[in-house]
Amino acid sequence: MNNRPATDSLDLRILDALQQDIPLVPRPWEAIAARLDIPEHELLKRLETLSQEGILRGISPIIESRPLGITAATLVALPVPEERIREVAAVISGYPEVSHNFRRDHRYSLWFTLSAGDEKTLQKLLQEILEMTGFSRDDILDLPTRKKIKIDVRFPLGRDRNGGLHGQE
Amino acid sequence: MDRNDREILAALEGGLPLVPEPFDGIGRPLGLTGEEVLERIRNMQKDGIIRKFRARINQRKLGITANALVAWDCNGRPAGETGGLLASFPCVTHCYERESVPGRWDYSLYTVHHGYSRNEVEEEVRRLARRTGLSRYLVLFSTDEFKRVPNVRIRENGRES
Repeated sequence: MNNRPATDSLDLRILDALQQDIPLVPRPWEAIAARLDIPEHELLKRLETLSQEGILRGISPIIESRPLGITAATLVALPVPEERIREVAAVISGYPEVSHNFRRDHRYSLWFTLSAGDEKTLQKLLQEILEMTGFSRDDILDLPTRKKIKIDVRFPLGRDRNGGLHGQE
Repeated sequence: MDRNDREILAALEGGLPLVPEPFDGIGRPLGLTGEEVLERIRNMQKDGIIRKFRARINQRKLGITANALVAWDCNGRPAGETGGLLASFPCVTHCYERESVPGRWDYSLYTVHHGYSRNEVEEEVRRLARRTGLSRYLVLFSTDEFKRVPNVRIRENGRES
């Protein structure tokens, strides 16, 4: 069950440091290595390994949707029976407008996020997905985003787990 | 945001190169210096196009395998204020306000939680419920992740702005 590759405490300290904003300087790795008190080449070697192991997905900018013209978003839940889950999930994952598609422990078993330029396009897309998968509006939950209150995906790594990244609650 | 900005974001989607001067490598095919690339990234951050620049970690490979979406019923309390309270807890990575389906699905606030075990997440959610006084909620653990990509991908779904 536990397929966790061997990461040591330095790996965790590195990953923890990379969860904060990357310094926008010509030699960012040197700056991060200095913060961690290790040589730059050691940091780069570790990052290579963490990438190869699939632990590090990549270090990239998180882009806001609104400036790129994506203004409508919703979370949709479908009550998919066990025997159809993979087939239905594959159809839904095929849409580039779907960014997350998870199975969850509930009668509404498949939950996905859908976004589009505007409300009308979003609803058209959803209608198409429902027709492709054989569900009706009355079967599903369509939960449009009213407000993003918080997005801050950071994990308590390399520090006291109970204290977390931000100290005790 | 112009064509070069877009090209920079598209190039960075594959991740910042693991070489000592990574911005030089990003700029080269565009005929830009590393310093010019940095300046453009800083401007995009200032303009709110880039929210953050940081690592994306596959937490499952670190043993953080429990993931729950929790749906909260505000029970008549103002959603904005209650959502702010839920979001203030460090263990909450996402907090969204959504429209409900009256009579069928009365939940309007959603939080996301990650943990090393379901028990840990359940305990965390119970603590949140106690602290906020919200008693009607649903914990939805994920059992399969069929797709998980950043919401905005320039190469795949970027739109002209």
